[in-house]
Amino acid sequence: MTSTVDPTIDPARATRGSSRLRALTFLRGTEFTLIVLSVVGFVALASTTGGNLLTGPTLTAVFQYLAVPILVGLAQMAVLAVGQMNLSVGVVTGFTAMVAAWLMVHIGLPAPLAVIAAVLLGGAIGLANGLLVVLTRINGFIVTLATMTVIDGLRYGVNGTGTFQNYSSGLVSLGQASLIGVPTVFILALLVAGAVAVFFRRAALGRQLLASGGNPLAARLSGISNDRAIVVAHVLSGLLAGVAGIVVVALSGSVNASIGDDLLLPSFAAPIIGGVALTGGVVAVLGTCLAAFIVRLVDVAQAQYSIDQSWVDLIVGGVVLGAVLVTQVRTGSREGRRR
Amino acid sequence: MSAPTQQSDATPASDPQAVDLDAQRSLKGLPFWANPRFGLLVVIAALVVVFSSLRSSFLDTGLTLVPMQQDLSVFLVVGLAQLSVLSLGHMNLAVPRMAAISAFAMGWCYQHLSMPLALGLLVGLVVGAAVGALAGWIITATGVNSFIVTLALDFALVGLVSLLYSHVGDGVAFPVHPAGMTTLRNDTFSDYCTGNVCGPPVPLIVLFALAAAVLVAVLFRLSRIGREILMTGSNLTAARLSGIPTSRRVIQAHALSGALAALAGFLLAINSGAFSADIGNSFLLPSFLGPVLGGTLLSGGAVSVLGTLLGATLTEVIQTGLNLLNFSVQDLNIYIGLVLLVALSLDRVRHVLAERRGTRA
Repeated sequence: MTSTVDPTIDPARATRGSSRLRALTFLRGTEFTLIVLSVVGFVALASTTGGNLLTGPTLTAVFQYLAVPILVGLAQMAVLAVGQMNLSVGVVTGFTAMVAAWLMVHIGLPAPLAVIAAVLLGGAIGLANGLLVVLTRINGFIVTLATMTVIDGLRYGVNGTGTFQNYSSGLVSLGQASLIGVPTVFILALLVAGAVAVFFRRAALGRQLLASGGNPLAARLSGISNDRAIVVAHVLSGLLAGVAGIVVVALSGSVNASIGDDLLLPSFAAPIIGGVALTGGVVAVLGTCLAAFIVRLVDVAQAQYSIDQSWVDLIVGGVVLGAVLVTQVRTGSREGRRR
Repeated sequence: MSAPTQQSDATPASDPQAVDLDAQRSLKGLPFWANPRFGLLVVIAALVVVFSSLRSSFLDTGLTLVPMQQDLSVFLVVGLAQLSVLSLGHMNLAVPRMAAISAFAMGWCYQHLSMPLALGLLVGLVVGAAVGALAGWIITATGVNSFIVTLALDFALVGLVSLLYSHVGDGVAFPVHPAGMTTLRNDTFSDYCTGNVCGPPVPLIVLFALAAAVLVAVLFRLSRIGREILMTGSNLTAARLSGIPTSRRVIQAHALSGALAALAGFLLAINSGAFSADIGNSFLLPSFLGPVLGGTLLSGGAVSVLGTLLGATLTEVIQTGLNLLNFSVQDLNIYIGLVLLVALSLDRVRHVLAERRGTRA
């Protein structure tokens, strides 16, 4: 997960030699900035709270609740890679969490099966999104807006406004556990991020997705099916949202249908701050993870200083805008120098 | 300058602009049923028949028709707010919060400055337009995609609005009722009679929505600014080369969007009886539903105000009908989402069929 796009083997970039170098420096720049920002933010927060942040339970919580933002950020990133959007990321996370809990409580399915079923459900929803986009040729934004509305309803259909709890003590204790001091759910998120990074960097299919997102015409002329790329990206996005749903189930011990309401905007914030372009063709796994971490730090600061929750939204909004502006200014001045 | 058309189009392989122009051109020689507005009208009529035969109260004036028109007024204006920037091929995800912050400004003016209703509304419209113009300015100045800019702005405004309410207001709402607010809320034209002739059972606030719709329609159809905004949306480079001040047009379209969002916030406050912090929360989906169902292109360059009215009406009819049939709010969501998908798919099918017939003839 250390790297994002290796431009030397990126077929989309091969056609645009000059932009290749620019994209490389820009990506490195973004990630470097984010690393500095994360470290500075963390150190500042740790020192101003008198080391409270570094005590066991607090530190564990910081990383435990980082898993879901990372996963939904990656879910959004997967579709951004082909130039699509997925507005249903948040509600799919909530829906799969509810279904997993329902399978365990009402059907009596053992936890491992319920987990697999929920992830597959996420993938199936992604497949439906992708097929709808490809078959109807309706804009992906609108398709996922519609499926978001549908799934929002389904999410409440599982158990109304009621709460599921006491489902699987094994799963919950696994979700709460730590491995050599690192929360298991955070490890899971990192593993998934690593797999996504490898997929986009090494797998032929992943490269095809990026090629299709970067330049659909060139991709088609090189024998890549743009339709397939769109479907695969949506399936991947659904699977990742499903994993996020499972993490919620394992972490919290009780779930209700409001899960996912506050995930849509963070799902965009992480990849966009992380340096992913809305135009497609670029992924930044490390950037997305770092951005999720920075947003999490703002959250932690709010809890530590008992600031009004509203400030978090205000600051995150400002940070997203600022990140975009900085990127734009940097690429702009670089272009200017070239001329 | 952003070009959101390219990445958001479902057919990345083809140039979306070219497709749109083809679609526009071919529509002229097509049979009347190829017009999406006609399809909407048929669906609305069919649903009204179905709902009123299942529940006779669907046609009850006081119980159903008047509240429906009140809701519809809000959602028509919300749709127009989105339509103003869709004309550019932009999106405004901050419509909900632009409405919220304008509603705060209006409530504050009524509460603390005891402004008359009209003056407060004017202040709200100016605040909305200013926030919209800010979004437009950021987009033109930086060239960042409108989706990101308005998304981040929405984030920031969510925080700002609740901070403002908790520090300046008294928590969640202004309790003030300026003179005329209750009248606007409760009265219909049937309350005003000259002799024996009374007006139709149409709520007063419908006037505001209709006036907004007519103004927007005239702007995009007849005025120079409106035409230039559409040209900017249809082809930015060509518009700029033709001497259109494209940056100014982008800012103006976003300012219009903000002002309309403010008007929607005002109408909702009138309907619900209070200028509160949750105004605008339900605006995002309806803002897209109306224009998109009505045939406005996401890629810019073409708008349909009449279509937006019909699209908003369809959504409102479905909502009211399913409500009367005792569907829960959650079930409602499922059906509205499905209707959106089906309507858009049918639109696609109809278009393809019509084009085939067109080429054969």
